Amino acid sequence: MSFFVDENTRLIVQGITGREGTFHTEQMQQYGTTVVAGVTPGKGGTEVLGVPVYNTVREAMERHEANASVLFVPPKFLYGAAYEAIMSGVPLVMTIAEGTPVHDMLKLHHLAKEKGVQLIGPNSFGVISPGKAKAGFMAHRIFSEGRVGVMSRSATNCYETVFLLKNAGIGQSTVVGVGGDMIPGSTFVDVLPFYEKDPDTDVVIMIGEIGGSEEELAAEYIKEHVSKPVIALIAGKNAPKDTSMGHAGAIVSPDGEGSAESKEEKLRAAGVHIAESTEDILRIVKTLV
Amino acid sequence: MKLLEYKAHEVFHEYEVPSINGFTVSTLDELEQADGKLDYPVVIKAQVQTGNRGKAGGIKFAENREQLLKQGAEILGMSIKGLEVKRIFITEKVHIDKEMYLSFTMDRKTKLGVLIFSPEGGVDINEIVEKNPEKVAKVILPAGEEIDDFTLQYVIDKTGLKQSYHDEFKNICKKLYRMYVHYDCLLAEINPLVITSEGHLKALDGKVDIDDNALYRHPNVREFRDEITENPLVLQARGFDFLYIPIKERGNIGVISNGSGMIMSSIDLISQRGMEVTCALDLGGGATADRIQEALKIVASNPQVDTVFINIFGGITRCDEIAEGVKQSIAEIDTNRLVIRLEGTNKEKGLQIIRDIGGNIELVDGLYEGVDALAEGMKK
Repeated sequence: MSFFVDENTRLIVQGITGREGTFHTEQMQQYGTTVVAGVTPGKGGTEVLGVPVYNTVREAMERHEANASVLFVPPKFLYGAAYEAIMSGVPLVMTIAEGTPVHDMLKLHHLAKEKGVQLIGPNSFGVISPGKAKAGFMAHRIFSEGRVGVMSRSATNCYETVFLLKNAGIGQSTVVGVGGDMIPGSTFVDVLPFYEKDPDTDVVIMIGEIGGSEEELAAEYIKEHVSKPVIALIAGKNAPKDTSMGHAGAIVSPDGEGSAESKEEKLRAAGVHIAESTEDILRIVKTLV
Repeated sequence: MKLLEYKAHEVFHEYEVPSINGFTVSTLDELEQADGKLDYPVVIKAQVQTGNRGKAGGIKFAENREQLLKQGAEILGMSIKGLEVKRIFITEKVHIDKEMYLSFTMDRKTKLGVLIFSPEGGVDINEIVEKNPEKVAKVILPAGEEIDDFTLQYVIDKTGLKQSYHDEFKNICKKLYRMYVHYDCLLAEINPLVITSEGHLKALDGKVDIDDNALYRHPNVREFRDEITENPLVLQARGFDFLYIPIKERGNIGVISNGSGMIMSSIDLISQRGMEVTCALDLGGGATADRIQEALKIVASNPQVDTVFINIFGGITRCDEIAEGVKQSIAEIDTNRLVIRLEGTNKEKGLQIIRDIGGNIELVDGLYEGVDALAEGMKK
C-alpha cells in the first residue's frame, strides 16, 4: 500500500506551463507518476510534455478522472488555485509555494475540512511514496522504498533524515511534507491516521520544529489512537524567542508558547521517542526495525 | 511586519477605530512647522521597536511650544537599546479613568482568529492572564469578514463591562476586527484601550503585526518596512532575498544554509556542543554563485563572526554554484575559519572547486562531521 500518491495516482499539475511546473512535471513523469492533465488559465488547448493543458481544473477533472492535484503556482495565486481544486472535487490537493498569506491559509484549511479534501502544504516539498510516485519537487534520488513513514515541517531536515536512512539501508513507505507555514492544510494529526492504517508502514518519524502546537496536538492523538512506534525530532531548541527562523510557522511566542521543551515533554508523555538530532533519529529507528 | 506605534495609529484611523490624535516628524524643522497641530499639553514618544521606552527617556511631555522643541530635540537622534530614534510621535495628552486590553490574533490550535479582552490593561497580556485569568475573555471566531453582536455580548457579559460603554466597545471591536482581516494581521492589539475621563473609549497605544507574506497587498505599509528593521545586515541580506537572523550577541559562529529546518538543526547541534552561533543566513532554494558570494560577505562582515559554517543539502540548490560563490568571495572575507559541508546536487563538482581554491578551507562530509570540526577547532 502506501497512501496519498502511488501507482494509482492520476495527477493534475496546476501551473504546468510555468518554468518550475514544467521542470518538475518532467521529473515526476520520469519517477513514474501518471500526470493526466495540466491547468493554466489562458493556456487551455496546448500541450506540455505530452500532457494536455486546460483552462480550469473542472475541465481537467471531467475529462481525466484525476484523483490528485499538485500546485506549482506562486504564493499570490495559491488561494485561487487551491480554491478551484477543492471546489472541483479533487480529493487530494498538494501545495508547494512558500510565502502564502496566513489569512488565505486560514480560509483554505477550513474549506478543505468542510469539503472532505486532503489539503497538503504549503511551504512543502510535496508527497512521495518511494519507488511508486511523487508529487512535488523533492530530490527523489535520496529517498528509497521501505517501511518507515516520515512527515516533516521542514524539507531540509527531512532530506537529511531520509539520506541518513538510505545510507543505512532503511527505506520509506510514504513521506509527507506537511510544510513550514503557520497554518498548514493538513497537520501531523491529520496525517497520522494514514500511517496507522497503512500496512506497509512500521514506524513513523515526525520532524517538527518550534512554533505553534501541532506537535502537542499530535502527542494527544498518538496517546489515544496510534499503536505504531513514533519518533519525533523538534528542531529549533536554541532559536531566540519571538524571532521567525525562516519558516513562517517556526516562531516561539514571547510567552514561550511553541517552545521545543513543551513539545518534547508532551510527546514523551505520549510514549513518543524523542530524537536530539537527525542522526539520533537513525539510531532510534535502528532499534525499532 | 510589526508596525511602529505611529503607523499602527494611522491604520486605526483608516478603519475608524477611535484613537488618540497625533502626528509624526523625523526632523526638527518638521517639528517647528508642526507646532499648533495639537493643543497642549502633548506627549512626545520615540518611535523605535522596543519596549520600556519611558524608562529610557523616550517618552516626554510638553506644556508649550518651547518645551515641545526642547524635548523633541532631545529624543530625536537618541539611542534606545542600541536603536537610533529617527522619528517621534506627538500625541494629545488624554485623561484616563481606566486602562483595558483588546486584541485579535491567530489561534494556531484551531486555525482561527481569536478575540482577547480584559477590563484590566496597560501591561503585557501575559501578565494580565497570570494575575487575573478569570477576568480575561478569549473567544474563537469563525472565519469571516465580520464579527457578530452575540460574540461581543458574550464578551461583555463575561467581563462585566459597564452598560454605558457597550455601544462604543462593540463599535471598536467590529472596526478593529475588520482592520485585522483586511490588513492580513497576525496581531491587532489595543493596549491600553482607555476610558477617558469624558467617558469615551479610545486606543491609546497599539501593536499591529502584519503578515510579511501578505505585504504585497498592502503597499502603503510595505514601504515602511526598512524603516523598522534597524539591523543593517538584515537589510543587506533582504536586498538579495536572503533571510539574516541574529542569534546570540556573544557567539562567534556564522551559519549559512539553504532552508529554515537545516538552519535550526545546525544551530541546535552547535549549541549542544557548547559553542555559540551569533547569526545565521538562509539562502532559500536555488541560490546562484553571485548571490552566494554576497551571502558569505554579509555573514563575514559581522565583526563577531570569526568562523563560518556553510551547511548545504542541495536539491534545487547546486553544490557547484555554492563552491563558485565561495571561490569568488574568498579574497574579500577575513574569517579565521571556513568549514564547508556540501551534499546533494553536483556535490563532486562542488567539492573539486573547493579543493582547487586550496588555502585552509575545511571540507567536511556531513553535518555531524562539520560540527565535530567546529568543536575541534575551538579547542585549539
